[in-house]
Amino acid sequence: MTTAEQVLVRPGRARAKRRVNRRSLAGYAFVAPALILLVVFALGPFLFTIWVSLHSWNMLTPLTTMPFEGAGNYSYLLNDDALFRETFGNTVYFAVGNVVVSVVLALSIALVLNGPIRLRAFWRAAFFMPYVTAPVAIAIVWRNILDSNWGMLNGLLARVGLPEQPFLDSLNQAMPSLIGVSVWHEVGYYMIIFLAGLQAIPYDLYEAAKLDGASTWRLFWTITLPLLRPTMLFVVVVITLSSLQVFDLPFILTQGGPVNSTNTLVMYMYETAFKFLRMGRATAMAVMLFGVIFTMTMIQLRLLRERE
Amino acid sequence: MNTSYAIRPAVTTSLKYLLLIVGAAIMLTPFAWMILSSMMTSSEILARPLTWFPAHPSFDAYRGLRDAIPLGRMYLNSMFVTTSTTIGILLTSSLAGYGFAKFQFPGRDVLFLIVLATMMIPFFVVLIPIFYMVSKFGWVDSYPGLIVPNIATAFGIFLMRQYMVSLPDEVLDAARVDGASEFEIYWRIVLPLSTPVIGALGILAFVFQWNNFLWPLVVARTDTMWTVPVGLNSLRVYASSAQVINMQMAGATLGIIPLVIVFLALQRYFVRGIALTGIKG
Repeated sequence: MTTAEQVLVRPGRARAKRRVNRRSLAGYAFVAPALILLVVFALGPFLFTIWVSLHSWNMLTPLTTMPFEGAGNYSYLLNDDALFRETFGNTVYFAVGNVVVSVVLALSIALVLNGPIRLRAFWRAAFFMPYVTAPVAIAIVWRNILDSNWGMLNGLLARVGLPEQPFLDSLNQAMPSLIGVSVWHEVGYYMIIFLAGLQAIPYDLYEAAKLDGASTWRLFWTITLPLLRPTMLFVVVVITLSSLQVFDLPFILTQGGPVNSTNTLVMYMYETAFKFLRMGRATAMAVMLFGVIFTMTMIQLRLLRERE
Repeated sequence: MNTSYAIRPAVTTSLKYLLLIVGAAIMLTPFAWMILSSMMTSSEILARPLTWFPAHPSFDAYRGLRDAIPLGRMYLNSMFVTTSTTIGILLTSSLAGYGFAKFQFPGRDVLFLIVLATMMIPFFVVLIPIFYMVSKFGWVDSYPGLIVPNIATAFGIFLMRQYMVSLPDEVLDAARVDGASEFEIYWRIVLPLSTPVIGALGILAFVFQWNNFLWPLVVARTDTMWTVPVGLNSLRVYASSAQVINMQMAGATLGIIPLVIVFLALQRYFVRGIALTGIKG
C-alpha cells in the first residue's frame, strides 16, 4: 500500500472503527440492565445455592462461620430422610399423572376444535379460562368443592345416587384429586398450543391421503401425530418442568396431607428452609430437584432434535 | 347409498359436541358454584340435597371479608406490584432483546448463551439466596423486595430478541443517517414495531405476577404488604371452619374477577401470545 493510499484510507477506517466502538458501547448499554439483574437475582443465587448445599447454615449466623459438610446434606437426604424419598416419589407421581392426563385431554379437545365446529370461540374460552386464574384462589374453591363432608361434588354424587367419596381426606384419592384440579387448571393452555401446532399442518396432506382412501383414524396416526411431534415434545417438557416444581395447589388444597401423601419436594424444601431454618439441607434438595429437571429437559430436547 | 355412511358422521359429530359440552361444564361449574355459594348462607351451602341457588342472595360474606382481611390494601398491593413488575420486565427485556438482536459487540454470543442458561434455572432453586440477599438489603416486607428480584427474566429477553432479529435493518440505519441517537431509535422505532411481542409478553407477565404466590408468601411479612394470593391464603387459615365457606368463596371470587375481566377483554391477544411463545419456545 502506498503512502498516498494510506493517507486516503486511514481516516475513513479510523472513523469506521470509532463508529463500531460507539455501536459496541451502545450494545453493551442496551443489554446491561437485564444482564446485571440476571446475574444478581438468578445466576449468582444459583451458584450460592450450590455452595450453601455443601454447608450447614441457618441463615442467621454469618456466612463465614458456617461449617462445611461436604456431601453430608446430600447423603443425609438420600440415605436417612424417608420424607425426602416420599416427597420425591409424590412429585414424580404428580408429574407423570399430569403429563399423561393433560396431553390426552388437551390434544382431544384441540382435535375437536380444529375441525368444523360451531361456537369455536366460546368453547376455546371456556377451556382456557381456568388457566388465567390464581392457583391459590381456585385451590380454595376446589377445597370446598371436594370436601368429604359437605363438598359440592359429594352433594352432586348423592343426588344422582352414587356413593360419596373421601377425595382429599383419603390416602388413595388425594393425589388423583390434586392431579385432577391441576389438569382442570392448565389443560386450556396446552390445548391452545396443540391448536397452533395442528393449524401448522398443511391441509393438502390430508386431501391427498383421503383420495387414497385412508380412514380418519389412519390420518391421525400417519399424518397428524408425526407432524405434531415437536409440539407434543414441547408440551411434555413444559408440563414436566412445571409439575416437578408444583407448590401452590397442594399447599392450599391439602398442605401435603393426609399423612404426607400429597407432600411435594418444593413444599418440603419450603418447610425445611423457612420453618426449620435448615438452609443447607433445603438447598441440597433444590440442587437435586434441579438436577432431575435439567436431565429430563435435556433428554426431551435431544429426542426432539434427533427426529428433525 | 349405504346407510352407515350417513350415520357415522352424525354419530361422530354428536360425540364431539358431547365432549365439548361435558368438558365446558366441568370447566365452568366451579366458577358458577364459587359465585353462587358466595351469596348463600353457610347452612345453605352445606344443605343436602344440594341446592344451586341462594334463597336470598346476599353480600354479607363480602362484608364479612372486610373484617377478616385487609381487602383494599391487598388489591392495591397486587395492582402496584404486578404493574411495576410487568413494566420492569418489558423494559429490561426489550432493551436487552434489541441489544442482542441488532448490535455487534465482543462477547455478545457468550452473554446470550448465559441468558439462555439462566432460562433453565427455576425460581425455587434461587429462592433461599434471593431471600437472604433481600433481607441483607433490608427489603423484607417492602415493595422493592416484592418487585426488584422479578423485573428481569431470561425468557423475556429471549422472546424479544427472537422477534427483533427480523426487524428491517434499513429502517434503523436510515434513522441513524438522520442523526437519531441509539436510544431514540429504540424508543421511537424499535418499540412501536414490536407491539405484538410486547403485548404477548406483557399479558403473560401480568398474569404470572398477579398469581405469583411463593415469593410474596416468603417476603411479605405483615398484612400491609400482602398481595391478593397471600391474603387469600391467610383467609384459608383464618376461616377454615365450615361456618365461613361463603366468605372463602367471596374471597376467591374477588381474587379471580380481575383476571377474568382482563382475559375476556384481551382473549385474542392471549391466544396469539401463547401461540407466539409456545411454538418458538
